[in-house]
Amino acid sequence: MEKVMLIDVSKCTACRACQIACKQWNQLPAELTRQRGTHQNPPDLTWSTYNLIRFTEIPTKDGGVRWLFRRDACLHCTDAGCKRACPVPGCIFRTEEGAVVIDQNLCIGCKMCVNACPFEVPRINPETNKAYKCHLCWNRISQGLIPACAKACAMGTITFGNKDVMIARAHARAKALGGDATVYGDKYVDGTHVIYVLPEKVRMYERMVANPSIPISLILWKDVLKPLSVLAIGATLVGTFFHYVIKGPKRPEEGGNDHG
Amino acid sequence: MAKPKNLIQASTAFERVVHWVLGGSCLFLFLTGFGLMFHSLSFISRVFPAVPLFSDLYPGGYSTMKLLHNLDGIVFGIAFLFALVAWGKDTLFFDEDDKKWFRVLGGYLWEVEKVPEAGKFNAGQKAFFMVLFLFWFVMLATGIFMWFPIFPPTLIRWLYPLHVLGVLVLGAFLVIHFYLGTYGNPGTFQVMGHGYVTKGWVKKHRPKWLRDVEASRRSI
Repeated sequence: MEKVMLIDVSKCTACRACQIACKQWNQLPAELTRQRGTHQNPPDLTWSTYNLIRFTEIPTKDGGVRWLFRRDACLHCTDAGCKRACPVPGCIFRTEEGAVVIDQNLCIGCKMCVNACPFEVPRINPETNKAYKCHLCWNRISQGLIPACAKACAMGTITFGNKDVMIARAHARAKALGGDATVYGDKYVDGTHVIYVLPEKVRMYERMVANPSIPISLILWKDVLKPLSVLAIGATLVGTFFHYVIKGPKRPEEGGNDHG
Repeated sequence: MAKPKNLIQASTAFERVVHWVLGGSCLFLFLTGFGLMFHSLSFISRVFPAVPLFSDLYPGGYSTMKLLHNLDGIVFGIAFLFALVAWGKDTLFFDEDDKKWFRVLGGYLWEVEKVPEAGKFNAGQKAFFMVLFLFWFVMLATGIFMWFPIFPPTLIRWLYPLHVLGVLVLGAFLVIHFYLGTYGNPGTFQVMGHGYVTKGWVKKHRPKWLRDVEASRRSI
């Protein structure tokens, strides 16, 4: 049964319990970082930080600052660019709940998923040379549990449930918030399995992609040039065969034989 | 090898070795590249064992296949530099006869009274070598940054379609190259085999070159 994680950003207090719960459940090491004058730590998603609270500061007209918080992680696309790009069968797969999972046992570190993701989510651990990202706690949700981040969220920002229920709830919440509030995710890449309720416009949030879609380069690569390359090789095989049959080989006029 | 009676040496050993290192590395790149490009060809990956001492990173199968594809890319990249030394001076230009050659496409497609005379290489072979030169660069440049993506994903993702464009062009190239080097032009294979061909073959395919060699204006 397809599930959806709903992130109601308007309720987030940036306590980062989800970030910690993710590390704990997945047994991911902490990273040494430097203070950069922001609570956003680490600065970006990494191979060992699948789940990151982003802090965006927006100056207000009265000289103050508005603080926007957003939980950033894999959105679990239905039409997942990473899965399309991966050269190893079964390495990136989708569960019946809708989670997109990288199997590190099969990963060869080619980084094609890194470059195919419209959200730039997958990250490489340089030591193991394998790609990592949020897997929607597929090892929990397949057992009827909710993802670790949702479990840890005390504010009710992260909730998890059946797809249609969550999408309806998201739209009801956006409507109730009014103003610029929108639902993000249910309409892109055939629907993501993590959707947001955003009180502000999409572009206000750091690293939020306005109109995510499968990169054109990926379509050109996998759906156009790849079949065309097979066609070109096939056409030249057939072409040279019929050249021999129709036109025949070019033989020396004198003193030659077939084998030189 | 000792000079066979009535045969003419058409290539140096250097040329033949360069050709087969280049061709061999190219074929292996195709084999492993197709293994990486098509899930349906995953059986190719199964022949590659774990890399001794590095079995953590390369436990065999796809991981080893990708590593060998990358390393072989270096071999191919360097081999082509030698190819430039071997054939660059005879291929990277067109003369008047070459222009005439293109007008009749060397007599390969329709009946032509007299095919314009070629030197060591005809205009078609020269064009092929230039295309190979171009796509050698494309494959090497895209391949290196696919291997080590030091630029942002928005840039790197465009390397993949370019790399596959190279597969398209070089794949078609290879098939035509096989054909013209074997069945399409009987006697030609030995230019890259033991290196000796008949005088009839040389008169047919390299008349200008033959005159130059006979007049000692060039060796091979």
